[in-house]
Amino acid sequence: MKKFIALSLSMVAALSLAACGGGSTSDSGDKDEGGESSGKTEISAVVAQYGQNTADWWKGFEEDFEKDNQDIDLNVEVVSWNDIGQKVTTLISNNQAPDILNIDVFADYQADDLLLPAEDYVSEETYGKMYDAFLEQSDIDGTIWAIPDLASVRTMFYNKQILVDAGVEVPTTWDELTEACKKIKEKFPDVYPWGIDMTTDEGQAAFSYYVWNNGGDFTDADGNWTLNSAENVEAIEYAIGLVNDGYTNTDPANDTRYDLQDNFGTGKIAMLIAPNSLPTYIAENGNEVDYGIAPIPSNTGTSVAQGVMDRFMCFDNDYSDEELAAITTFFDYFYEDARYSEWVEMEGFLPATTTGGEALAAKDEAMAEWIDIVGSCKFYPTAKAEWADVKQGVINAEQNALLGESVQDQLDSLQSEIAP
Amino acid sequence: MKKNMQKIEPYIWILPSIILMFVFILIPIVFVFRMALSKVTRAGLIKGYAGFENFTKVLSTPTFAMVLKNTLIWTVAVVGLSTLLGFILALLLNNEFKGRKIARAIVVFPWATTLVVQASIWKFIIDVDYGTLNTLLMKLGIIDHAVNWTASPGAWFAWEIACGIFVTIPFVTFTVLSGLQSIDGTYYEAATVDGANYWQKLFRITIPLVSSSLTVSTVLNIIYVFNSFPIIWNMTKGDPGNRTDTLVTYLYKLAFYNGKQGLAAAVSVIGFLILLACAMVYMVATLRKGDE
Repeated sequence: MKKFIALSLSMVAALSLAACGGGSTSDSGDKDEGGESSGKTEISAVVAQYGQNTADWWKGFEEDFEKDNQDIDLNVEVVSWNDIGQKVTTLISNNQAPDILNIDVFADYQADDLLLPAEDYVSEETYGKMYDAFLEQSDIDGTIWAIPDLASVRTMFYNKQILVDAGVEVPTTWDELTEACKKIKEKFPDVYPWGIDMTTDEGQAAFSYYVWNNGGDFTDADGNWTLNSAENVEAIEYAIGLVNDGYTNTDPANDTRYDLQDNFGTGKIAMLIAPNSLPTYIAENGNEVDYGIAPIPSNTGTSVAQGVMDRFMCFDNDYSDEELAAITTFFDYFYEDARYSEWVEMEGFLPATTTGGEALAAKDEAMAEWIDIVGSCKFYPTAKAEWADVKQGVINAEQNALLGESVQDQLDSLQSEIAP
Repeated sequence: MKKNMQKIEPYIWILPSIILMFVFILIPIVFVFRMALSKVTRAGLIKGYAGFENFTKVLSTPTFAMVLKNTLIWTVAVVGLSTLLGFILALLLNNEFKGRKIARAIVVFPWATTLVVQASIWKFIIDVDYGTLNTLLMKLGIIDHAVNWTASPGAWFAWEIACGIFVTIPFVTFTVLSGLQSIDGTYYEAATVDGANYWQKLFRITIPLVSSSLTVSTVLNIIYVFNSFPIIWNMTKGDPGNRTDTLVTYLYKLAFYNGKQGLAAAVSVIGFLILLACAMVYMVATLRKGDE
């Protein structure tokens, strides 16, 4: 009897583990099924939470949209960046994919034939507003599967005061950067001259900053993975070298971009690569810093800025004509110039449409500079199916290199894993 | 009729909890097992039966061995040390002294705070740039410049274990304390008359009589700690390079950062089997001991 009790007790105990471990797969979605009830056409959207204003903005949007389109019932759910991937995956596994999704990646959904081509649901007029360079980022086999909702650009920010006091010019090459770090460290031992983030949060960004500015890349011109190219190895070795020489924050594997941005705001970090929204972020956190903006230091003579772009996509949920029309109306409404400018400005991002760009540039000169950069920056190869593996792979390689392992070995094994 | 009703009644009362367990525990487990044996796309769709492919893939990576080792160190260290310290604390709190009630209330604090908050506070305390530990030690003149308390993955892991112990102690303390309070004082009086010293009383009377409380707290703690996600996730996310990952944080990353839900489900099943084995061995052993 006791054996039986023991067995059943331990079963129950262990069962609770599996329930926790795999709970994610069984969350039940709470989305309304797309369809028509009470005579209205229902459409659902899951959108990413960019910052503190996003949820309010969408609430206002939903109200205005329903007022102007009495026959459509729109349900918008705002989900934080931490959870949105998990949330969508759960919805899809329960056959409850949203109609409209706003997120960063799309290739995994496209690979499962879950998406509609953009031109099926975006009106010609709205489609024509998008920057071509942005649309191309969502091109798989000649079809555009998603449309850009906004963009941001990463470039170098520096603390003017620290650079002046240390007698350092703004570095443009890697040699100048090393030299500047050395001088700042000598003058201010408590300041980290350079900020590096190689965390699980966004370590792939660091990879691109150094690799792109050393003539390397994730892929070659034909789209074949070239993760262990000589340029890439040299670039990551350079970045790791800055850490090992004590020129950076102490723990790049754990200091997220927000830690770095906070430290820059308080004057603890002298230079870092950050998004154009950094000034907004610093001000919102109550810090003040006299900053300058410059191109990312490059080892090749041409600085490459990094662009980040997020997207809207539409899941193929067997729509009726009314539903598809409602989705088209949604996008026409969203990309209306005045409303779209408001959306972009809300969290300090950059527009992904030419008309939005012109409107903002006319209003704000500082913005005009950024909009120029956005036209020429480079993006992650997110349209490739292996991107998620590459992203985690380069982060892992960086972190192992920080622990003293060879960059060459790490990238060699990643390359053979991704493109055997 | 009344007799029949009496027979059925208990089942009606436990029915709600059985339904709850079925919906929230059994069904998810079936899902996890199904997923572990399936080909799962990155977007989360199940595309056919995969046999044991997910398991062989997971088991063949060197990372898995490292993560499994971390999990064992984490569980043994946190459960072992918190049981020892919690037991000692319970013995102290069982003595009569002024302010005992307040002391007992304070011990509950770490347990009553959410793990996420605890982990964030610990991370803040040991932070090299603005952590309170460095500030305190510098104010006291013990150190003259900020010390990096987390210079290596091992150091991070040790801090995580320390945090785990800190939040687990109260549970052990209170389980043991309730056991201690049920011991009849006459045993000790008799032992004193027979000339037993403190240690003899501890090992011959106290420990045997609280062993059932200790068993309960240890088994439950093994399950909680093995499963614990928030401390490690908030402090290091298992970084750098999986050096501080346990099975639970590892499978979370596999599922939601790498998009490999099939592999994540396989890791989940492996964890489940390990825990099942541990729990079985432990319960059978202790209950058999009780028979003797």
